[in-house]
Amino acid sequence: MSKRRHITYEFDGDLPEGTGDDAHWVVYTRKNAGGPARWAGYLDAVDVDLALQYSREHYGLDEACVGTLIHRHDAMTDSEYGLEPLSPASAKGDDGEPWVVFVQKGRGNIHIEAGLVHAPNARTAIARGIASFAGGKVTNVRVVLQADCHEAMQEDLAIWREHDLSYKYARGYSKDVRAKWRTFRDEADLEGYRAGDIKEHF
Amino acid sequence: MSGAANPVQPMCPCEGEDPEKLAQFEQRIAEGVHIEPGDWMPEAYRQGMLRMAEHHANSEIIGALPEGEWITRAPSLRRKLALTAKVQDEVGHGQMLYRVSQELGKSRDDMLRDLVMGKTKYHNCFNYPAPTWGDIAMIQWLIDGAAIMNQKTLADGAYGPYVRTMNRINMEEAFHFKSGEDMVLTLMSGTKLQKQMTQDAFDRWWAVSLMFFGPHDKPGAETMPAMRWRMKIEKNDSLRQRFVNRFAPAAKDLGLIINVCAKDEHGYVTSVREDEQCVRDEATGNWGFTDPDWDEFFRVIRGNGPCNAHRLNLRRFSHEQGDWVRRAGAHGTITTPPAA
Repeated sequence: MSKRRHITYEFDGDLPEGTGDDAHWVVYTRKNAGGPARWAGYLDAVDVDLALQYSREHYGLDEACVGTLIHRHDAMTDSEYGLEPLSPASAKGDDGEPWVVFVQKGRGNIHIEAGLVHAPNARTAIARGIASFAGGKVTNVRVVLQADCHEAMQEDLAIWREHDLSYKYARGYSKDVRAKWRTFRDEADLEGYRAGDIKEHF
Repeated sequence: MSGAANPVQPMCPCEGEDPEKLAQFEQRIAEGVHIEPGDWMPEAYRQGMLRMAEHHANSEIIGALPEGEWITRAPSLRRKLALTAKVQDEVGHGQMLYRVSQELGKSRDDMLRDLVMGKTKYHNCFNYPAPTWGDIAMIQWLIDGAAIMNQKTLADGAYGPYVRTMNRINMEEAFHFKSGEDMVLTLMSGTKLQKQMTQDAFDRWWAVSLMFFGPHDKPGAETMPAMRWRMKIEKNDSLRQRFVNRFAPAAKDLGLIINVCAKDEHGYVTSVREDEQCVRDEATGNWGFTDPDWDEFFRVIRGNGPCNAHRLNLRRFSHEQGDWVRRAGAHGTITTPPAA
């Protein structure tokens, strides 16, 4: 038994003054090379190197993927949320810097990378993003300057996802669990339980 | 893992809100439209969602403590890797949920400080001891199983950022549950001693699992703001019954006995009797069960559980030990790390 668990810590008084929050980052993962980046979550980190490291070790290992993409939360600009899908507009042009466009198919859904537009500012980038990618099928468009997006791809990393990660996924246990249940339950009960598994837990 | 659906407290009525906007908001909710950041929402909704997400986030990081203590003592390399990954997942869930809470108006720094100072709560089930590897198996099987049931309903809620986060978290919780199920199956296929250890752990965690879903619903719960606004989707008692219907027959098939237990102030079982109510009602298909000790539930909520002080003090210890790292990151201030 660890001794640490038996130590009783005693504290008096208030905490030291807080440090405030670190920068917020938005994280996306790519399931395959050339595939779109899909929203995965958030993290807090003081700089881009630490943020990329966290994104790889947390989100990049929690699902089968080939890389992560991050940007600061304050680097993104979202279109306003309406109740109807965004209609295609006729905002054309290719002047300005490249912006990465993410689209959200419906409220409550995740943002998925759609492509690039060039624009002189975020507002124009949103208009051009809607024109290029909304197609009346998305409710929100997010734009981020391509220069503010940072990626960690498997091909650029010496060691990442090289080992057996089956212990991290439910499917890594399914076969063993089913075999073990067979010693306690007959096949019909087991099938009903498995159906309940899918309904209740997956 | 968390039972975040259950800290919903009575919310203030919408006094002072624009009646037209409130009516539109409620109509959208009723139509199944998700609420996104930037949408108008009543202050009571924002506060309620903040309280719920913050409680959930707190539960994730405190929930990592009892399992984290077992990483060094896991019985095999694969179990050690899995437990390490699970603990990392739980802390990651906390990070995501704090971010959802931040968007609702409270800084992460304030949330972490309020947690260690006891100003905000976390889930009751983490105030119980985990003295054996069997307890780790039970936490992953029963508590994570209950958490997924609960969180799957929360993923059908109305607040977009929380829904997206729940969907992501549930994907990872599935691994936790399956890993726990594998551990319980392995132990119950093992030696007499292993089976006894598993039964003892089951005795410690069964009633805690029933409490996981919160106290009995008040009459009219479905018309109160928490459910009317789809912050929570299913009533506590309904979730609890679904849990029992799934886990009681599974436990019995494994050879576990479902007992009603008395516990001492340290959370250890002092006496057991078999729960005679735990049989299937052929008419309804529901399994019966003896209610857990609700006096104990409220005693633990008030801070008087077996491990409340230990968990909070350990979190405070970690918070203070990490202070120099946060200052270095935030201000570039390099100081000497404190002695452990």
